[in-house]
Amino acid sequence: MATRPPDKPSALLALTSSALLLPAYQVVRADAPPEFVELGMRYSKYDEDHTKGNKTFGGSSQRYEVDAAQFHLLAPVADNWAVAVDVQWEDMSGASPWFVGESLNGGPKVIMSGASIEDTRTEVSVTTRYYYDRGNAGLNYVRSDEDDYDSNALALDGSFNSADGMTTYSAAISYSDDNIEPTQGSVPTNTLKADKDVSSVFFGVSRIVSKNAIVRFGLAYTYRDGFLTDPYKFHDKRPGERNEWAVSTGYRQYFPWPNGALQADYRYFDDDWGVASHTLNLAWHQNLGYRTEVIPFLRYYSQGEADFFANIADLDKRYFADDYRLSSFGAVSGGLRLRHEIGNWAITAVGERYETDNSWGVYSGEESPALVDYWRYSFGLDYIFK
Amino acid sequence: MKSLTCLLVVLCLSACETVQPWERGTLAKPEMQWQTDPMEISLQGQINASKEASSGGMGAAGGGCGCN
Repeated sequence: MATRPPDKPSALLALTSSALLLPAYQVVRADAPPEFVELGMRYSKYDEDHTKGNKTFGGSSQRYEVDAAQFHLLAPVADNWAVAVDVQWEDMSGASPWFVGESLNGGPKVIMSGASIEDTRTEVSVTTRYYYDRGNAGLNYVRSDEDDYDSNALALDGSFNSADGMTTYSAAISYSDDNIEPTQGSVPTNTLKADKDVSSVFFGVSRIVSKNAIVRFGLAYTYRDGFLTDPYKFHDKRPGERNEWAVSTGYRQYFPWPNGALQADYRYFDDDWGVASHTLNLAWHQNLGYRTEVIPFLRYYSQGEADFFANIADLDKRYFADDYRLSSFGAVSGGLRLRHEIGNWAITAVGERYETDNSWGVYSGEESPALVDYWRYSFGLDYIFK
Repeated sequence: MKSLTCLLVVLCLSACETVQPWERGTLAKPEMQWQTDPMEISLQGQINASKEASSGGMGAAGGGCGCN
């Protein structure tokens, strides 16, 4: 099998990586603006399994389905600038867990929101980036609109390379102003109108380990303030503040034979609600010739329950929640990504399965009857104007 | 955990060999990037954040949505 020659730094990756406020990506990609205009489109289908009949009052229940379309444009501007525009549309429908009650045999069962919930979301993100000799700096604005929720977020990030180019330091800060106005009529809501703010800071460092390996480390802190309760859940009252910390690391190792790379990422998360989690992502990126990539991937996630979580919520307590997302569980997901280039075009396809189970986690705690499994498929086209 | 991370950073930095700029071609390959498909990563991150109690950690938090 022929070894793929070193690729020209992808402009899309160079800018959008920073646009996502990622840490310290490689110095070989950090300091040059894109050369060509690039376009990308994706369609994705997200489909949750029905909640099993023995876990609900009222039999098997359909859950969420989401259709999502994404659009990406990247363009160079002048000598040292670039602009990226990302748009995402989502159309959501289905039912979600409303609350958990005790069945006659004593076990917890879910009561789903009866009527099907319909909602749409539009997100627009604009990033401008300036490239200088030893790094780059970006400013990003994101606006997200839903029927019952809107968000305005601003972020600033920058990276700086050491003199020998072996180490890249990066930092980012962000602020988000979110407003909630729950749709009335389906179920009683916990508020008519509320807001919350999210502030975050990140510091990262990446280091070239060898000609074929690179490593990174990151530290993140996020502060949430305001109405953090789920407005639609019947038994839900959460603190008005949340402090979150995350430590992450990543490693990439290229193997000349078989012309592929191991991608490994790990995150430890902790917060003052009592939630802690471990996340491990593994992928093998296999090149087949010059134009085809096959990428199987596997993810393991385990979280401990929040201090105020209980399947049968104690409504006399100051805070309580029976939301399965705050329970202890483990999740395993895996799938396959394919990409094939044809001239200036590239087609992509992704299939993923996500499954959860209380016993798969490393933390103990009550098993929620509302844990979710899902399928996700994505198809996409990319085009580069060169 | 933070102490362990600091120790790993120090061990790694001291163990790295010097790689000259002209030897960094492999590191420029798509498969060696932290994120190989920004749209895929964005969507996957949003889905995970809407189904789990933890999120982020790879950068600043950014914007929110009603999904979580």
